[in-house]
Amino acid sequence: MANSPKPETRKAAIVGGNRIPFARSNSTYAQASNQDMLTATLDGLVARFGLQGAQLGEVVAGAVLKHSRDFNLTRESVLGSKLSATTPAYDVQQACGTGLEAAILVANKIALGQIESGIAGGVDTTSDAPLAVGDDLRRVLISLNNAKTLQDRLKALARIRPGQLVPEIPRNAEPRTGLAMGDHAAITAKEWEISREDQDELTVRSHQNMAAAYDRGFFDDLVTPYLGLTRDQNLRPDSTVEKLATLKPVFGKGEGATMTAANSTPLTDGASAVLLASDEWAAEQGLPVLAHLIDAQTAAVDYVHGGEGLLMAPVYAMPVMLARNGLSLQDFDFYEIHEAFASTVLSTLKAWEDPAFCKGKLGLDAPLGSIDRSKLNVNGSSLAAGHPFAATGGRIVAQLAKTLHEAGPGKRGLISICAAGGQGVVAILES
Amino acid sequence: MVTRVLDEAPSLGTLYAKAAVTAFGRGGGLPEDRLARNGVTVDPAHLAAYARVCRLPLNDVLPATYPHMLTFPLQMALMSDRSFPLALPGLVHVRNRIDVVRAIGSGEPLDLEVWAENFAQHRSGAAVDLRATASVGGEEVWRSTSTYLARGAKAPEGAPEAQIEVAVGDLERVAATWRIPDDAGRRYAKVSGDVNPIHLSGLTAKAFGFKRAIAHGMWVKARVLGALAGRLPDELALDVSFRKPLLLPSTVTLSTAQAGGGWDVAVRNATSGTEHVVGTIRPL
Repeated sequence: MANSPKPETRKAAIVGGNRIPFARSNSTYAQASNQDMLTATLDGLVARFGLQGAQLGEVVAGAVLKHSRDFNLTRESVLGSKLSATTPAYDVQQACGTGLEAAILVANKIALGQIESGIAGGVDTTSDAPLAVGDDLRRVLISLNNAKTLQDRLKALARIRPGQLVPEIPRNAEPRTGLAMGDHAAITAKEWEISREDQDELTVRSHQNMAAAYDRGFFDDLVTPYLGLTRDQNLRPDSTVEKLATLKPVFGKGEGATMTAANSTPLTDGASAVLLASDEWAAEQGLPVLAHLIDAQTAAVDYVHGGEGLLMAPVYAMPVMLARNGLSLQDFDFYEIHEAFASTVLSTLKAWEDPAFCKGKLGLDAPLGSIDRSKLNVNGSSLAAGHPFAATGGRIVAQLAKTLHEAGPGKRGLISICAAGGQGVVAILES
Repeated sequence: MVTRVLDEAPSLGTLYAKAAVTAFGRGGGLPEDRLARNGVTVDPAHLAAYARVCRLPLNDVLPATYPHMLTFPLQMALMSDRSFPLALPGLVHVRNRIDVVRAIGSGEPLDLEVWAENFAQHRSGAAVDLRATASVGGEEVWRSTSTYLARGAKAPEGAPEAQIEVAVGDLERVAATWRIPDDAGRRYAKVSGDVNPIHLSGLTAKAFGFKRAIAHGMWVKARVLGALAGRLPDELALDVSFRKPLLLPSTVTLSTAQAGGGWDVAVRNATSGTEHVVGTIRPL
């Protein structure tokens, strides 16, 4: 892959973020729609940074599970929020990469001088999920709608079979392979020989780190309570390796299955938003700059026929971005690797350490190497918080920006997020 | 004046039935007694159902119209009681003013109090104000005045003139068109408990002189509030008069215009222009 030199641009600042606590599926947010949650999250950000009535450059957000009526979800949420109605908005969707991709899109427009400020966000509900009628029934209903005569209508109706009346429930599965994401991850975990113990350990650390971060007030200016929830519902501060060891595997089959309900993220509801701006705009508004978004990269793998793991694309994106910025994997103070599954984080790290893989698959002379694990997901990640697909990117960007800001100027952070469809998004932030 | 404190919300269905059988032989002045409930907490599931049926956003602040869900049953208990001078069947809700003194968190326990006052005369009958307040820890955070008109009834000698009109400015521009389905009354009745037969079906409405079932005025008011979500101050006064009944089903228009730091609003029939609701929303 050739690296073109970066054009002269300015760096987009991350001013801050807001999210609602993440709730487990069919629980506290069961009655809340994506629009409810995204609007509440935007209004929380508006309140935090005094943006009542403000016209921003753009609001970019999305949802992975989306009703067809929500085609303009982000714009509709802006219209219902305290932002000026003259703030433009659009939806994006890149599975679990949605939130980070939205931040990259906003940052790029700021970098190019096309906008001065913007909000990137994401929202997902697995509780208020869009049910669809099955494809057979859908075709019958369309022909019924098109029928001109009573006879045509009756003919169309006669094609309805009882079995067609069962709605299609969205599944966390790949359309091309029919495998659940967890089953894909289990294949990768086996390939990379990721042990159950290592996964459980990473899981416990995530819970403990996030609980400690809540306890020291780290999330006070990142999270706004919603519908009575003040902390992420999935968070188990008392989680221990011993307790997790008692759980039965849920993904992967038979002997050697390692992935449990604890070391995999649960279905979750929630929303997040990040305020980005030019340094000038932030200064004019008297707002802080936590960090800048330095660079980003996406990649995709052929997980269907190409033999690569579904969630391994960030592994490929990383060396491209590092080379372009003249950085090594070790040049970072903090790492945020999205914990879709504990095994995904561990497979990713192992792949970067593996000389044969780095040479054969990534075309590198030397492996990217290992990282200092004490710098990984220091304030907890998705295994603890939960993972409302499109909301995870915004959570991570705001969380890392604040972590870098706390550590002082000149600190560097790395984000890596895997996504359905064999895609990955990585980014660099700097304080 | 005596304030009677109830432990739970009275059942509206029972009250309607009681009011119907005790409709005759009423008269005299307004009861001085007040009804109250203390430490009332909002059921999140009910709030969510209310928000959905009124198309209001779901968050941690009560919609301005929501406390009416809690105070209306108390007002009904007052009006259906034999001591109330006007017969409930035939009472028409003609004006409603709500003041949100401060935003109310959905988790705050509310102390509610309702009473009747301002027995007034009107060219077509008599009017009365049903008042309500909601307080948190002794601080009044919300209050409302529902004015009811009893056609053909007589207010006491020397009663003041009823004020049932809300003045609005020019509202020509249509902001939205709403198709109101024929089950709108039943859906709101299910959530609000307001099972007044005039809202439930054409047949039951006919018994009370309406051509078809009519929409609940407070539902229309809540929908107006929902249409302006994000555009309103936290502390506000929402004052609307209910003009002509909104027959179900109907297609209506919402007109809005900025005025006085808030909005003037009107809901009218899309074809005939018949005015159903006009009102003002102002910062308090």
